[in-house]
Amino acid sequence: MTATVAQRAARGFMLPVALILLWQALGMLMHDVKRMPIPSRVLTAAVDLVGSGELPLAIMQSLGRVFGGFAVAALVAIPLGLVMGNVRSVERNLDPLIESFRPIAAIAILPLAILWMGTGTAAAVFIVSYAAFFPLVINTVAGVKRVERNLLQAAATMGVGRATMLRTVVLPGALPSIGVGMRIALGVAWTAIIAAELAVGAKSGGGGSGGVGQMMFVFYAYSVELNRIVVCMIAVGCVAYALDRLLRAALARAMPWTR
Amino acid sequence: MTLLRRLAGVGIYLRTLTAAALVWTAIAWWVRNPVLLPPPVRVAEALWGLAMDLELFQNAAISLGRMLLSLALASALAMPLGFAMGMSRLTEDLVDPIVEGLRPISGIAWIPLALFIFGIGNTLPIFIMTYAAFFPILLGTIAGVHSVDRRLVNAARTMGVPRSTIIGRVLIPASLPPLLVAVRLGAASAWTAVVAAELIGAPSGLGYAIEWYRGLLMTPQVMAYIATIGVLGFACDAALRWLNRALTPWQPIADVGSAR
Repeated sequence: MTATVAQRAARGFMLPVALILLWQALGMLMHDVKRMPIPSRVLTAAVDLVGSGELPLAIMQSLGRVFGGFAVAALVAIPLGLVMGNVRSVERNLDPLIESFRPIAAIAILPLAILWMGTGTAAAVFIVSYAAFFPLVINTVAGVKRVERNLLQAAATMGVGRATMLRTVVLPGALPSIGVGMRIALGVAWTAIIAAELAVGAKSGGGGSGGVGQMMFVFYAYSVELNRIVVCMIAVGCVAYALDRLLRAALARAMPWTR
Repeated sequence: MTLLRRLAGVGIYLRTLTAAALVWTAIAWWVRNPVLLPPPVRVAEALWGLAMDLELFQNAAISLGRMLLSLALASALAMPLGFAMGMSRLTEDLVDPIVEGLRPISGIAWIPLALFIFGIGNTLPIFIMTYAAFFPILLGTIAGVHSVDRRLVNAARTMGVPRSTIIGRVLIPASLPPLLVAVRLGAASAWTAVVAAELIGAPSGLGYAIEWYRGLLMTPQVMAYIATIGVLGFACDAALRWLNRALTPWQPIADVGSAR
């Protein structure tokens, strides 16, 4: 009954391969629907888009915004979270504000961002940092609170100053939780940038600010190339997966004690 | 004691929000451009106007209705599949690659293709939200089934309890707490997706209303709708948390907010 690793891997391939074959067969049967995406056409579209450099460029543009927005959010949220976690009165007074804005999705802010900053990169970066801010700040606060009291008291007994305490006890103790926050934040940031680019594309008549989301919208609204939309979707998925994997590896390397 | 604490909490809450409103008013006065940044009073007026028109309630009801329908659909699809995957190695091996392959593709990335398939209307936001809620619920169900103490299942089995009863009386109650957390995560992710889906591809709902008023440069109305989205998102989570407590009184409430 217990299957070997190889058997389990083989099982894993069965259903996806079967589904792709079924999809291809269906698409070939329904050739009257000319635009229906089928695997073989998606593959040629992928080769085209990657070969011409369009897709890599769009991904780079989107990634640039994600990293920019993420950096802004981290620079604000992590220090703020550290202060909030350490100083009770700051937390009590700021928490209502954070909790009031947290349920508002980043995409809901987009119309305001467009109003304030236009349809360019600034609005996109703003949306990304808004989306990334909340998981970062909340997990930083939680991380600071999870630092063992014994460690803090031990350090305090030995006369460690506040700044040293923060650097050598609190920060390393809170780091695993901050890492979790970073992973969540990067995930939502990537989702938010696709949404923002899509919506900007939809509402500004496809201006040339670029990015994968915008590219998808152009394929939808102007050239109607569904195969290319599917290629973009797959690319979005791959980037999301790769981002999470890379960040997880980097965090594991930075914090060997969490493994 | 707890009542006093609560009152103090409400006091701090009001104080912070009042301070924020004052800062906002000051900035708005300094900007002097009601299209860019209307003062909070104007937003409150807009909110009142929209509520009196019943327009706010109509759009909110539409969005909430879509959300509930998608959550029900996603649960109906994801929970049985999750139980099947959690209980059988074979099913998990077969289905897991597809789940892991699709999961990184966010619901929002489906919007262009879904626009083409479903057109602008009710189906598109429901499809996107169901997709968005599906994965958290599925993963939570699997994790819930895995977290069930094997000894409970084995004990029931030794006593000759039939499989269907084991599922109904042991597995489902024991995996309920993580499952309800999963539904909360699913609801949060669906609520995020509703705005995006309605903003781009629906002729009604809160997201549509935001975009409509932005087009008219009526910023107070835009802000009023944004606030409504926040309040409803918070209310949905509070309702599910309450449901959580009511259904699994033996379980402390896990804070899933950080995973949003």
